[in-house]
Amino acid sequence: MMSSTRWRVPFPVPRSLLPLLTVLVPALLSAQDPLSRAFDLERRGSFAQAAEIYRGVLQKEPGEVTALLGLERSLTPINRLPELLPVVRAAIVANPSAAPVYSIGLRAYAAANLLDSLPHLVDLWARAAPGDESPFREWAASALQRRDRPMARRAYQMGRERLGKPDALAAELAQLATAEEDWPAAAHEWVGAVRQLQGYRSSATTALAMAPAAARPVILASLAMEGGPDAARIGVDLRARWGDPVGAFETLLGILPKPLPQQLDVLQAFLELTRLQSSPTYLLAQARTLEALADRWTNPPQRARFRLDAARAYATAGQPDPARRVLGQIAADPASGPAVAAGATTTLIELLVGDGKADEAAGQLEKYRSTVAVDDYLRLRRAVALRWAQSGAVARAEQMLQSDSTIEALAVRGRIRLYAGDLKGASDCWREAGPFAGTREEATDRSIWLALLQPIQPDTLVSFGLALQLLDRGDTLKAAQSFERIAAGLPPTGGGADLHLLAGRLQAAAGQVAEAERLFRTAVVKEMPGTAAAALLELGRLQLATERRAEATRTLEEMILDYPTSALVPQARRLLDQSRNAVPRI
Amino acid sequence: MRRRDLLRASSATLMTLGASGAGVLRGAWPAWLGLVDRTASPWLLLPMDDGQSDHLKAYGVTFRVLQRGGRAEWFLNHRGGSFLVPGDQATIRDAALAGVSSEPVSEGLLIDLRAQLKQGNTDAVPLEKPPKVAVYAPPNASPWDDAVTMVLNYAGIEFDKVWDAEVGSQGLKKYDWLHLHHEDFTGQYSKFFLNYSGAPWLAEMVKQNQRVAKALGYPNVPAEKKAVANEIRAFVERGGFLFAMCTATETLDLALAATGVDIAAAYADGTPIDPEAARKLDWSHALAFRDAQLELSPNVPAFSDIDGHQVNSLDRRQPLGAFKLFNFSATIDPVPTMLVQNHRDVIPDFYGLTTSFNKRTLKSSVTILADEPGAPWAKYIHGELGQGTWTFYGGHDPEDPQHQIGDPPTDLSLHPHSPGYRLILNNVLFPAAKKRELKT
Repeated sequence: MMSSTRWRVPFPVPRSLLPLLTVLVPALLSAQDPLSRAFDLERRGSFAQAAEIYRGVLQKEPGEVTALLGLERSLTPINRLPELLPVVRAAIVANPSAAPVYSIGLRAYAAANLLDSLPHLVDLWARAAPGDESPFREWAASALQRRDRPMARRAYQMGRERLGKPDALAAELAQLATAEEDWPAAAHEWVGAVRQLQGYRSSATTALAMAPAAARPVILASLAMEGGPDAARIGVDLRARWGDPVGAFETLLGILPKPLPQQLDVLQAFLELTRLQSSPTYLLAQARTLEALADRWTNPPQRARFRLDAARAYATAGQPDPARRVLGQIAADPASGPAVAAGATTTLIELLVGDGKADEAAGQLEKYRSTVAVDDYLRLRRAVALRWAQSGAVARAEQMLQSDSTIEALAVRGRIRLYAGDLKGASDCWREAGPFAGTREEATDRSIWLALLQPIQPDTLVSFGLALQLLDRGDTLKAAQSFERIAAGLPPTGGGADLHLLAGRLQAAAGQVAEAERLFRTAVVKEMPGTAAAALLELGRLQLATERRAEATRTLEEMILDYPTSALVPQARRLLDQSRNAVPRI
Repeated sequence: MRRRDLLRASSATLMTLGASGAGVLRGAWPAWLGLVDRTASPWLLLPMDDGQSDHLKAYGVTFRVLQRGGRAEWFLNHRGGSFLVPGDQATIRDAALAGVSSEPVSEGLLIDLRAQLKQGNTDAVPLEKPPKVAVYAPPNASPWDDAVTMVLNYAGIEFDKVWDAEVGSQGLKKYDWLHLHHEDFTGQYSKFFLNYSGAPWLAEMVKQNQRVAKALGYPNVPAEKKAVANEIRAFVERGGFLFAMCTATETLDLALAATGVDIAAAYADGTPIDPEAARKLDWSHALAFRDAQLELSPNVPAFSDIDGHQVNSLDRRQPLGAFKLFNFSATIDPVPTMLVQNHRDVIPDFYGLTTSFNKRTLKSSVTILADEPGAPWAKYIHGELGQGTWTFYGGHDPEDPQHQIGDPPTDLSLHPHSPGYRLILNNVLFPAAKKRELKT
């Protein structure tokens, strides 16, 4: 079908000239630049035709680089790259200073498997471009494409000798050594690369960080032997990634550059590394880095900000003393600013509550009430109240929360009632508070306790409250023993089985395996199928964790067969698979 | 007494009275038996359609029925290839522990089922004796590195490991079923040196193989692996069932075809590949392939053009698609039908050192069980040799399509319905089919 497109002429053409145009236009088109024509043919996939045109151009101008590149592109998809060889030789003669000619030549010789000729070609190129690393780099690249690592190394080493620079091609040699897991060589070369160009430092760290754990001491020792600030910085970064951020920070302080702006850059880069994990070690390193930044920062509000973040990091890392020290520095700095001051106050009160100093915390809270945001004030007041209740001052705690009608306060009151042994009161408060008070973890915790309280008949059990106080104060073993005593005094179906299970879990968490097992077995009561299934699951888990596979298998089979409708059966099956080695234990 | 205590006590009494009235003391039966009405279900059906909670373990339950001397049947093309097993205590217990769904089948229902199976493309194949299973792997091989050992462990099917010493000393005679996976029977260590040269595990693999070759009296590893390949061929000829995946498929046949021809690179046996090797190969000795083009360069990470996907060749690598299982007649072709039983017809593909088989290289006697529509390769093939059969399944791990060395192992409890893994287990179970079914 003919195209319906009409060609419009922009100006009127006399009829007499039309025949002339029909001859001239095709002639003009055919005189189109041959390189453009060849490129069009390439785009259409007519590689053989394109190759012929490029060849034609190169016959007239053997050193024409564009044509040579085009010929290479055209011959590659039709697997005729070796035909490029004579053309390349002619191009080298015609245009001996053009680097692309040699580069193309390397690929063509490699495709033709004339590997023994490559050094000579590289030599020619190196003479044409003295001091240039490219000939050796390209030779190695073509070797690596063929996975010929020995030849690649030969290329790099020859380059290093010819160029007369001991660190030439260091980054490439470093990557080769890394691929071959030659860690001392990799460390040496990466240091050389970084000495040439600081931008390689992150590549060096990333590459060396992948080393297996067994190789890490070797790498650190190699870096120490290298000496110098570059090697030391890489060592610092690696130690930070490998779980020793505090040690890395100590080293870093000793190798900070002199100019202050550079010190700040280095410390900020290190701060990012400390944020890789949120374990206490990393938080501690984070805190110390933030302090170091604050000490060097000239802008007061930002300085205070760094100190506040440092204090919070110390507190979360379980280091209250340095946290208090830094908060004191904020308080002493009049240029801290109101927002930072408020943040410092809340952090200080949280620390005091965490330390069990509820009275002091309450005092600070009232003193700085006007500087702290309302939500934070209410939250801290509830935390103080809870802490009082944990230490036995239940009435005082309840009085503090009298005017707080939020659901969060209701949830806290429920806990306080439980500390007092008022099981009914606690259950009522929690039911009223609902599932949306506090965080999801707190809501789940309340649900667990509510389920535990449900079968217990007495509305009041002071010993229960005391046991819970022990638990929340961190005395797990005593709490477990207390719960066991309470359980012994309750019927199995009246909370006894559940409390035995709880006591077992606490003993297991405290590492008391034999005690935990005894309690789990006691909790297996047929009349309480839900609790029995959970107890057998915990028992099986404990047996598996202590490598008693045969026992674990028997326990888990018993659980699955005796309590087939338990919601915990899928978990039990998974543990059973692990005990039978049917699935990998990860 | 509180109301709730009265109710609790009353219900216990009622339960006891009711149970004795029915003639079955329910309180005396284990809880898991209560889920199945034993008096009306001498049989259990393990459905293998989407109603099954663990397809892979269902094979294990069936296998163990046979191990206990029981009878089972495979209902081909019925509800995804379901199994009929006895409704005895041991089987019910096994299925409950494994989490395998089962449905009670009375004698009356069974008669109806059999009538149903006679219509349409379905059939019932009796399963008799479970095969003795062996997996060919070096002694230090991890079970998590081989899809077949992983699924055998998961399904709870016992197997022995054998390697060159056992194969060389006629050890295969004890077994009915043999699996091969990673082994490079050309003796070139799967050409791993191209990507992993310097890796400690590769150095250890080379040392181990060289030690064994020397101990067995062979001049080099390629010679020893060829001898092993021939022993495996003899095993199949005598009536053994061979199931091979990944590199083992292609290299086994290359080794068999290369009797007296050097097809191993110099790093493996000290001498370069015979430049005339391709012409000299004797394909009549191979199981599945013919007229393949050998890869003569030791620097190219491929063995031949048998593999359609060429995963390690940057310029020849083909993308993954999906493969489709063929439909066979259950009554006329029970063996291929058994091998393709599945609850899915189309399965996503997965790479291996040998991923697929170019159809051009297949012998005419080979049965294609699955291929990628529109592509020139097959994925899953089967054939016979002498008294025995072989099945080749391309790829490394059906649930790890882009597996790399060092990747974490596949946890099959996360893939209990894997259609790719079901094909492996079809191969494990089908040798148990009654002899007349196997002679088609």
